[in-house]
Amino acid sequence: MNKRGRFRWGRIVWGVLALLLLSGHVAWANAIEPPSAIESVRYMHIMEGFLPPMWAAIWFVVAIPFWIMGFRRINQLVAQKPEIRLLLGVSGAFAFVLSALKIPSVTGSSSHPTGTGLGAILFGPSVMSVLGGVVLLFQALLLAHGGLTTLGANTVSMAIIGPLVAWLIWIGMKGKAPMWLGVFLAAAMANLMTYVVTSLQLALAYPDPAGGFVASFVKFGTVFAVTQIPLAISEGILTVLIFNALRSSATNELQALGMQGA
Amino acid sequence: MSVIDRYAYVNRLRHIDPAQKAGLALLVIVLCLLLNRTVVGILAVGWMWVAATWQAGVPRRVFGRVLLAEGSFLALAAAGVALGVSASPPLGADWQWRIGSLWLSSSIAAVNHALLLVSRALGCAAAMNFLALTTPLVDVVELLRRLRTPVLLIDLMALIYRFIFVLLECMERIYIAQQSRLGYSTRRNAMKSAALLGSRLFLETYQRSQRMQTALESRGYDGDLRVLSITYRRDWRIVWLGIAMASSLLLAWLAG
Repeated sequence: MNKRGRFRWGRIVWGVLALLLLSGHVAWANAIEPPSAIESVRYMHIMEGFLPPMWAAIWFVVAIPFWIMGFRRINQLVAQKPEIRLLLGVSGAFAFVLSALKIPSVTGSSSHPTGTGLGAILFGPSVMSVLGGVVLLFQALLLAHGGLTTLGANTVSMAIIGPLVAWLIWIGMKGKAPMWLGVFLAAAMANLMTYVVTSLQLALAYPDPAGGFVASFVKFGTVFAVTQIPLAISEGILTVLIFNALRSSATNELQALGMQGA
Repeated sequence: MSVIDRYAYVNRLRHIDPAQKAGLALLVIVLCLLLNRTVVGILAVGWMWVAATWQAGVPRRVFGRVLLAEGSFLALAAAGVALGVSASPPLGADWQWRIGSLWLSSSIAAVNHALLLVSRALGCAAAMNFLALTTPLVDVVELLRRLRTPVLLIDLMALIYRFIFVLLECMERIYIAQQSRLGYSTRRNAMKSAALLGSRLFLETYQRSQRMQTALESRGYDGDLRVLSITYRRDWRIVWLGIAMASSLLLAWLAG
């Protein structure tokens, strides 16, 4: 084979690889009208059918108590203030739409925030477990991202652990550190934990035949780290900016949500 | 995303009882997961393809695109299963590469396992996409209501569904306005514009909920959103399709 032939093969291989990685992006970019804030959404959702039945069931069992707790909390809030029912509904839609927002990633390409950090700071982690669950169900049925049998696993990573971590950091750092630092760490860590928990879930379901769970966790962790770590930083910065804008222009609304110190 | 929602409203299976369509999709998902064979997954993709394009009239191109929406996740996760990492030279590997102090390896068994996962995930995703492309979310919510989901949760879902589109439109308008005023021109600028968009959207969210509260209260709102339920058609074709599909999947499992 001459030099030119080899060159062509190289190009074909790279082309196929790039197509594979970008398939999600391309599919949506074509489907939607010209320059748009909404684009392909690439998060860390475990796809439908990727978890074996046993693990799918286990993650549902883990998620259900949190759903019940969150639902009780929502019932309580609605009993106290009936108008919160509509606010929560519209806020769920806000969480969905926020995850379609296009933000520049540190590495250059554009990406999307998970919104779990901001949601946890604004609404609290127990409410987020229910709203997040509904948003995940809708993402499965409206965007074909995530799945029905993997809803439990995705809820645990995106709607339970992520918001819980964000909320703990936010509460723990309030008054002890500058507010921007608390917001940044809460949002960035929530995003990062979502990805760590998803890698953990994949590693538990598919341990490495030689190295076991740990090797598998490292493997899935590295595979997804490339896209996820810059994204966590971007989301942290974005959330700080959003939060600052809200504090200067939406003080009354924040206080109505019961945000202390806003 | 508007693509899936659009076909959900205009396809030929739109007026069929959502319980039948959801039943069919769940049957395929459960069979794919339990039988756990590469052939079964591929066959399920074929069946759902036929059901969505031939029965429901969804264009093949659209079904294909939606099926590959998560191609990047699938490619990365499958690579994670097919490749092994270890600190010492791997045993029983068919291919191995050395990178620094780590060994990257793969074997025929691991590649087969990854192929099984990809086909199973695609089979399940095809079934879920069949449901998504033939059933509008209002019908899914109606089905959940029939299954005795608490009224509060149903109300929340209905509100979320409605407002997703309202807020998306709002977001789109703000985005265009920002772009025409040099928003998103540099990377720093893009971050600033995105944050402004996010915070404005939150304000819009809050104010809309307030205005809706006022509007509903002035029309006698007492806490529950009551809507008329649609009457659906039951179709024997779906039942036969389900039986044919389940038996062919079982046969493929027995044969393979």
